[in-house]
Amino acid sequence: MKNSFISRQWPIVVWYLLILFGLIITLIPFIWPAASSLKSNDAIFDHLDPFSIKAFLPGADLSAYTTILNEKGFGVVVIRTLTVTFITVFLGIFINSLAGFAFAYFDFPGKNIVFLIVLISFSIPFEAIAIPLFIFMRQIGWYDTYYALILPAVANGMIIFLYSQFFANIPKALIEAARVDGASWWKVYSLICMPLTTPVSVGAGILLFIHQWESFLWPLIIAPSPNLRLIQVAVGRMQSEYSIFWNEQFAASTIAAIIPLIFILIFQRQFVSALVGVDIK
Amino acid sequence: MSSLLVHRKYKGYLTVFIFLAPAFIGLLAFRAYPVFLALWESMYTATYGGAKAKMIFVGFENYQLLWEDIIFWRSVKATALLTLFINPIQIGLALGLALLLQRSTPLISIIRTLFLLPVGVAIPIATVVWGLMLNPNNGLVNSFLGVFGIPPQPFLTSETQAIWAIIAIASWKGVALWMLFLLAGLQDIPKIYYEAARIDGAKIWDQIRYITLPLLRRSLLFVTVADTAINFVLFVPMFILTQGGPRNSTNVLMFEAYRSGFAFQDYGRSMAIITILTVCILIIIGFQIKFLRPKN
Repeated sequence: MKNSFISRQWPIVVWYLLILFGLIITLIPFIWPAASSLKSNDAIFDHLDPFSIKAFLPGADLSAYTTILNEKGFGVVVIRTLTVTFITVFLGIFINSLAGFAFAYFDFPGKNIVFLIVLISFSIPFEAIAIPLFIFMRQIGWYDTYYALILPAVANGMIIFLYSQFFANIPKALIEAARVDGASWWKVYSLICMPLTTPVSVGAGILLFIHQWESFLWPLIIAPSPNLRLIQVAVGRMQSEYSIFWNEQFAASTIAAIIPLIFILIFQRQFVSALVGVDIK
Repeated sequence: MSSLLVHRKYKGYLTVFIFLAPAFIGLLAFRAYPVFLALWESMYTATYGGAKAKMIFVGFENYQLLWEDIIFWRSVKATALLTLFINPIQIGLALGLALLLQRSTPLISIIRTLFLLPVGVAIPIATVVWGLMLNPNNGLVNSFLGVFGIPPQPFLTSETQAIWAIIAIASWKGVALWMLFLLAGLQDIPKIYYEAARIDGAKIWDQIRYITLPLLRRSLLFVTVADTAINFVLFVPMFILTQGGPRNSTNVLMFEAYRSGFAFQDYGRSMAIITILTVCILIIIGFQIKFLRPKN
């Protein structure tokens, strides 16, 4: 083991270099757009030809933000998307926790098949379903309505699975005692089990929030009216409609990215365990 | 089973139904039914004779037309190319990053949080931002490459580079996402195995090969299946940046399905492509259920 010093020491240098390289690629798409969103459209290009590190320094020009919020209706889009998203989150936590409760505590014929359908349903990416679902929505008259934006996103197999796992781990004695005392299943659910689920509900809520906040293809095809436009579609359209105003695209992107990131950073632990909890062990 | 489940004999299944129905009906109506609707609608074609379109049953004709259609086969090729490269790239980088982030050093939790940030950025936002960064005329990336004397690259406007630019954009987020799953899997491996290996003098590569990879098998399999299914229907970068071009080089099946329906109003063709995509995804999920079945 004469080269043990080297073999122990070079990996740490390589480690730092690789981490630094990874961080640069990870963070530049945050830093440059956010810095550029605080500049006038011309100033974005000041330090690009030739390239200088000053390109990453933020400006102090808020005109991109005031333009998109005041003149281009982006503020309304943000509020509308937040509203749609929060309705989805609350309905989703309610009905998916009910179903998770049923899987954890009730036995019924066909339970395995029903559970298999739940598992398969969250393995199929929503994009594959969006176009036929669009035809279904047109058939039932929900085309271009808030119903179509919200309701298909509420039932979520992944969240049902999270809750059923959590409920299955609550000590059975607790529930049996309540049942012996004559508590109805509704009371067991709402007064005993749900108050224990806070960490799961926070994680599930953030997952539902992100799914709805990030949806693009679905609102694009199902709700074309400008007064139903959600944030991702609005930012996507800026790319084609106002393509020369880079600072405005960056400002809109910054707003659209920062809102979910705030939730993720505050509740990072719950978010990661809810996300990763789906990995069926 | 446990004594709780004695309640199977209670008055009826009304309680079960009330608890289960809202979510389950939602899944049936908005997840399961569209899969069958796609199959059904793929056997129809619309004719625009009068004021309203008439739907005519044509059996498997839409599939037969696809079979004979050169644009469809180019789209299959683009999808195959994307699938073949994007998944190994994302999973390989995610695994490498997870192994790097496993090390416990000062500030590691901050470093992990920084690497997690792209997970919170929606693909449309990542696409818009990267699209501007990769702008061939005055984007950041070409400006930066200029420092090293590399001439400006066409990126998304080039038939050969566009698909790689899209792979890079999707991987920026994808690597961060799958890294989280693999990092969680790595942390479930008991440290004692590594200590035992170290005492026996095993090198780091041997530890990765004989301890990490075998014990990470389930996480890797899950990530592979989920990543493949998601990238199979990757749509947003093509919609926002390339519209399937240049010269159909990024016209993957999902975009071709969208274009058939919403640009050409040929929903029969669109549904036939969607059905083919769904069958492929179900086959992938079948593998997942076969190999990842819980051990109970």
